[in-house]
Amino acid sequence: MAGPAAKPGDPTQPGDSAPGPAARRSAPVRTEWLGLAVRLGLAVVWGWAGLAKIADPAEAAQAVRAFEILPESLVKPVGYGLPFLELALALLLVTGLGVRLVAGVSALLLLTFIAGIASAWARGISIDCGCFGGGGHVDESQTKYLQEILRDTGFLLLAGWLLWRPRTKFSADGWLAS
Amino acid sequence: MSDKNRDGKRTARERMLEQRAADEAASKRRKKLIVGGAVLAVIAAAVVTGVVVQNQRSKPETPTAAPAGTIGDKNLVIPVGAANAPSVLTVYEDPRCPACGIFEREFAATIDQLEDAGKIYTNAHIVSFIDRAVPGKGSKNGANALACAQDAGHFRDFHDVLYRNQPDETSDAFGDKAVLLNLAKQVNGLDTPEFQACVNDNKFGGWVSAVQQDFDKSSYKSTPTVLLNGQPIYPKNGNDEISPANLVKWVDAANQGKQLGTAGSHGQSPAPTSTASEANNPSPSAG
Repeated sequence: MAGPAAKPGDPTQPGDSAPGPAARRSAPVRTEWLGLAVRLGLAVVWGWAGLAKIADPAEAAQAVRAFEILPESLVKPVGYGLPFLELALALLLVTGLGVRLVAGVSALLLLTFIAGIASAWARGISIDCGCFGGGGHVDESQTKYLQEILRDTGFLLLAGWLLWRPRTKFSADGWLAS
Repeated sequence: MSDKNRDGKRTARERMLEQRAADEAASKRRKKLIVGGAVLAVIAAAVVTGVVVQNQRSKPETPTAAPAGTIGDKNLVIPVGAANAPSVLTVYEDPRCPACGIFEREFAATIDQLEDAGKIYTNAHIVSFIDRAVPGKGSKNGANALACAQDAGHFRDFHDVLYRNQPDETSDAFGDKAVLLNLAKQVNGLDTPEFQACVNDNKFGGWVSAVQQDFDKSSYKSTPTVLLNGQPIYPKNGNDEISPANLVKWVDAANQGKQLGTAGSHGQSPAPTSTASEANNPSPSAG
C-alpha cells in the first residue's frame, strides 16, 4: 500500500509501477479502518448504556418517568425496552450488519435523547438523564444538561460518520458484498 | 466483416452488459432488503424480549410480604407512635441520604418526644433511591434492615441508631449486612437469630422495592420530604425555617383543642400481633 502520503498521480512516488490507482485505493481503505474504529466506538457506547440500565427495572422506569414527557402507561415499556434496543444496536455495530441503517436508527435515538434532555432543561426540572444508568430527580445543583447534550452530540457525530461512510473494515456488510 | 454485422454484434454485447448490470442491481437491492429486514428483526426481537424479561424481573408494586404492623393500602408505611394522635407527621427518608442524616440528627429527639406525648403519629416511608445515583446497596439493605426491625417491633430505636451512625454518602457501609447487624446490637432485644436471618436473606426486598416505586410515582422528588398533616414543612413551612422549637410550635398549633393520643409508646409500634415474633417462621402473614 502506498501509505498515507500518496496522492493520486503524484509523479514523485518512486518504485511504484502504478502510483495513480494504488493511491486512489488508499483513501477508501483508510476510511474503512477509521469507520471500523467509529463503528466499534459507537458499539461500546450503546453496549455500556444498555447494560447500565438493565439491573434494576424500577430504576430504568423512573429514569424515563422523571422526564415527565411520556404518559405513565408508556413509562415501563420504554424503560424496560430501551436498554435492549441499545444492546441490539451495539450487537449490530459489532457485527457490522446493515451499518447505514443501524447508524440511522442510532442517530434518530440520539436526537430523541437530546430533545428530551433539552426539553427537561427548558422546563426547569432537575433530573439526571439516566443515559448510563441511574437517572431520576437530582438536586438543582447536580444537573448536567449541557454536558449530557454535548456528550450525546459527540455520539451523534459518530453515527453521522457511519451514515456518510457506512463501508467499514471487518463488517458483515463487506463480507456479504464480496 | 460487414458493418451491419459489426453493429449487430455490438448491440448484442451491449444488451448482455446491460442485462448483467440490471441483474447485479437487482441482486444488490435484494441483499439490501434482506439485510435491512434482518436488522429490524434483531431490533424488534430485542425490544420485545427486553419488555417481557424486565416485566418478569421487576418487583410488584404491591408487595407479597410486608413487615408486621405496616399500614396503608399496600402496607408500605411504617407507623410510629399512637395511631390516635391528632397530628400526622409523614416522613420520606433514604437510609443513605445525607440530608436525611442531618435532619434526623437534629430532629429525632424532638420527634420521639412528640410521639411519646401522643401529639404526633409518624408515618415513615423508607425509600431507597440513593443506590441508583451512588454505587452500592446501602439504601436497599438499610431499608430492608429497617423493615426487619419493624417486623420485630423495634423500628424507631434501630432507625435512630442507623441515622446516628450514617456513613458518608459515598461510603457504602450500610451495603455491608454485617455493619447493619452490628448496629442492631445497640437496640435492646433486636439482635435475634430471626432478625439476622431477615437481614441476611433480604427478606423484605420486594417490599423495599414497592415502597420506592410508590415514591417514584409520587410528586415528591427528594428526601427528606417531611409533611405535617399533609403540609410540607421541610426545609420551610411557608416562610418559617424548620427547627426543633418551630416543629413543636407547629404541632401544638395544629393540635389545639384536640384530644391527644395515647402517651408513652416509646416508639414501639403496636406490639406485632402477627407471627413475626415466633421463631423459625419463614413467612409471617403480615399485613
